[in-house]
Amino acid sequence: MKPRRKQGWARLRALLRPPRTLKVTRIGRTYLVVTFGVGLGALNTGNNLLYLLLGLLLSMVVVSGVLSERCLRDLSVRRVGADAAWAAEPFAFRWALRKKHGHGFALALSEADSPLTGVGGVGYLPAGVDHVVRADLMAPKRGPVLLTGVRITTTWPLGLFAKSRVFPLEGTLLVYPRRGYACQDPGEAERGPVGDAGNPRRNDGTGDVAGLRDLMEGEDARRIHWRKSAAMGKLLRVEREREERRTWVLAVEAGLEGDALERRCEEVAALAHRLIEEGHEVGLDTADGRLRPAAGTAQERRVLRALAWLGHEGPRSDADEEAA
Amino acid sequence: MRPGTRLRLVLRDLGSGSAFASMAVSGQLPTWTLALYGVALVCALAGRRLFATRAKLTALLLLAVAGVLGMNVLAGSVNLVVAACAFAGLIAAHRLLSAPDPATDGQVQLSGLLMVAGGAALSGEIIYGLFLVAFGVLSSLSLALGVVEAAVPEGEPVPVRQVMRPLAVGVGFAVAGAVAFFILFPRLNWNMMGPRVSPGLGAATTGFSNTVRLGGAGTIKGNPRIVLRASLSPDPGNALLDAYWVGRTYDIFDGQEWTSVSGVRSASQRVVTLRPGGESLVHQRVELLPAYGGRTLVALETPSKLGNAVANTPMGSRRVALQELGGGEVRFQEPSLGYTYEAYSLPPGGSGHEFRDLPSDEQDALLTLPEGLDVRVGQTAARVLNGEREPLAAARKLADWLQQGHAYTLELSGDVADPLADFLFERKAGHCEHFATALTLMLRTQGIRARLATGFFGGERVDGSYIVRAGDAHAWTHVLVPGRGFVTVDATPPAHRASQSSQVLQQLLSFYEALEARWRSAIVDYSFRDQMDVARSLVRPPRKRGDPDAPPSRMPPLRAWGAALLAGLGAYAAWRLLSRFLERERPHEATRFVDAVEAQLASARIDRREDESLEELDARLTREHHPLSPALVPVTRRYLEARFGGRPLRQGEAEQLLGTLKRAIAAEARRTAAESREPRARAS
Repeated sequence: MKPRRKQGWARLRALLRPPRTLKVTRIGRTYLVVTFGVGLGALNTGNNLLYLLLGLLLSMVVVSGVLSERCLRDLSVRRVGADAAWAAEPFAFRWALRKKHGHGFALALSEADSPLTGVGGVGYLPAGVDHVVRADLMAPKRGPVLLTGVRITTTWPLGLFAKSRVFPLEGTLLVYPRRGYACQDPGEAERGPVGDAGNPRRNDGTGDVAGLRDLMEGEDARRIHWRKSAAMGKLLRVEREREERRTWVLAVEAGLEGDALERRCEEVAALAHRLIEEGHEVGLDTADGRLRPAAGTAQERRVLRALAWLGHEGPRSDADEEAA
Repeated sequence: MRPGTRLRLVLRDLGSGSAFASMAVSGQLPTWTLALYGVALVCALAGRRLFATRAKLTALLLLAVAGVLGMNVLAGSVNLVVAACAFAGLIAAHRLLSAPDPATDGQVQLSGLLMVAGGAALSGEIIYGLFLVAFGVLSSLSLALGVVEAAVPEGEPVPVRQVMRPLAVGVGFAVAGAVAFFILFPRLNWNMMGPRVSPGLGAATTGFSNTVRLGGAGTIKGNPRIVLRASLSPDPGNALLDAYWVGRTYDIFDGQEWTSVSGVRSASQRVVTLRPGGESLVHQRVELLPAYGGRTLVALETPSKLGNAVANTPMGSRRVALQELGGGEVRFQEPSLGYTYEAYSLPPGGSGHEFRDLPSDEQDALLTLPEGLDVRVGQTAARVLNGEREPLAAARKLADWLQQGHAYTLELSGDVADPLADFLFERKAGHCEHFATALTLMLRTQGIRARLATGFFGGERVDGSYIVRAGDAHAWTHVLVPGRGFVTVDATPPAHRASQSSQVLQQLLSFYEALEARWRSAIVDYSFRDQMDVARSLVRPPRKRGDPDAPPSRMPPLRAWGAALLAGLGAYAAWRLLSRFLERERPHEATRFVDAVEAQLASARIDRREDESLEELDARLTREHHPLSPALVPVTRRYLEARFGGRPLRQGEAEQLLGTLKRAIAAEARRTAAESREPRARAS
């Protein structure tokens, strides 16, 4: 199913969703069966004590509904988000929860109508307090995940029914490719004037002094060795040894789809991580565009974000993403 | 174990214990199941989960227990319902001793639920109601703490105090709701069951047997349990009833024990007439409670007719036949825990028997003396009577002599060879059977016909009827007086005739019995007729105070106004909810139209920006020369006219406009797809 159609379905489900959903728990099912049995026994035998017990059981169901409703009222929730989300591994996700009036008990938070699995819980939520709930969520696949709302569920007070309320809250969570180990060799480093490291054949690094030569036109004046230049009577520039930093431009070939694309993204992500960890510069070349080589964790994030969006359509700016 | 968990488990275990106790109070569960469950509960409360590591292996024990119970059921020694209840208790015991996890908790709670349902089937006692409420409260608290504990992150304490308050309010409402449901829910079953009974506290106390043996301790005199409840007509109105309730008589004494000469006198019948009645008969409606434990009917002396008997069993009430035996005894033909019946008795003064009307064997027996009777008995009687030959006067003279010279005591140790001589001449102390036996035999030695009667003496007025306790069991003498028949003469000192249990114990038991009676009338016997009465009482006009004969007021009672007010508030709340639903703001037709347009634009990847109206979007697309702009312009114009220009959309117009837009979008999508299939160069 295409991503756009999926998003349409998610919106449709959100539109058709009732304000509260009720699900009977396992113990609740047995409770209802026993209640039904007691009711049958009362009607069949006319035993007043069974009527009394039936009344108590039914009253408990009503009280359960009222207390759980009070629990879900006057709630407000917002996403705090995640630092980073990788596919197929748990990542920390947070919501900020607040109750205007009364108390909340046994609240479980999850993302509604999304492929994210995992639940965060809070046992007791007093009124007027911003409570941050943390959950270990997991996304099955790489890419942007449309978040339509936050589902808050409670089984309070007796655990017989799970009552849920969905708070509409749109957003997008960008899930990076699954982390793994890159078995492949990244290939030859780039040659020529690419990246911040420059040409490896030139001694224009910041290491030890390799020698002196005449300053060419257009070269950086900050490289001039003033004392030697004064001694020689002409402008000399210092040549310093270049550090062991090389540049790779990793590529995701155009035309890949499905599992092949996923595997390639994971490999590229792992390679990028390894190379950047080693201090090299990494760039990315994909069908959607080219990412200029650079080093550092910020560049790794840029590579991961580009890989996450690969094959998906939608906004690419940071502001559109809920996290990461 | 985190803080709060221990409390939850204790509440869970106590709740299960309450559920089991609701069955146990019926007194019908086998003793060994009580012992097993008790041990399991104590271990669980002490935190010792003995089966935690051997859950599956120990489950085999349950199979063995099920086998034993099954065999008991097949052998007829245990009722199927009782066996099922006992097995539910043992399952709960097994779960209590298993490792506490969510699954086990659920099983303990559900087995508790089954046990209180079983208790309802077995017991009608008020204690059942208390245990039912205890189970509801304890289990609810335990379940709620479990729910919260599951949501609290590991390592953090469970907010026990915060949980308790809202839950207590909720449980309070649940109990109130249960009462309301009980009162208001129509009884769809017309099976009007009578009082449902169980033995209750301790073993039943029967005061009757085929023989009365002298000697031994008279422990029954200290037993305050109520065995009989009777309403009399005409009602004497006395707080304490000075009357004899006769069960049976004995006429043969062998020196150790009393027996009757004749056996079964009649076949089973619904009504037994012992002697002709008169105009001044005392009518009694008698209920023999489970504490009675016997099958002999009891009636005020002297009974004339007994019948309309109903046996109250745990499974309901049914009519039961009666049978007359020797000694004037009338028995129920079927054993049961309790009975209700009616009796008519002659007023005190004599049974009306003529000597010649008695069966010959009874005539002979009335003067029979045991072989080897101590000669001092006859000599003493003759000396005391000093020539008195009139039977009633002689009996009273001997009774006075016995009361003056002999003490009353219940402290007797063991059997003696001649209990009568021991009482009269050695110990000079005994209980009612000794006094009655001595008087009867002393009269016989003087040729005066007499026999021993057993039953109860007294009666205490409670709620308009009379109760008789097990301690009121008594024995006395019937003297045959010509022209009057058998007349009661009691040789036992008057102070020691009625129950001799502790006053405090009697009061406590009376309080319990009063509660039990209220429980029985308000809960156990609550019927459709009572429901109708409740409904009628809401609208019945009140009578004027202090004048019961005054005509009722024409105004409805205050409670009717209250009920009407409540109904009115309910109707108003329903109307508010309904009107809020009906009056909620509905989207304008044009708004629904623009939503559909927006959905179509979204499918063409044209998203409206934040706060961008359709008009602004249309303008933007026109500026950008978007291919869909020509199709969107008429749609936008028509929307603006419909929404703000007072020209609503005609029937089918919205569909037509949307169809046009949809076709344009589809055409644009085909064009884009065709362009994307064309080869294109890529910069390197």
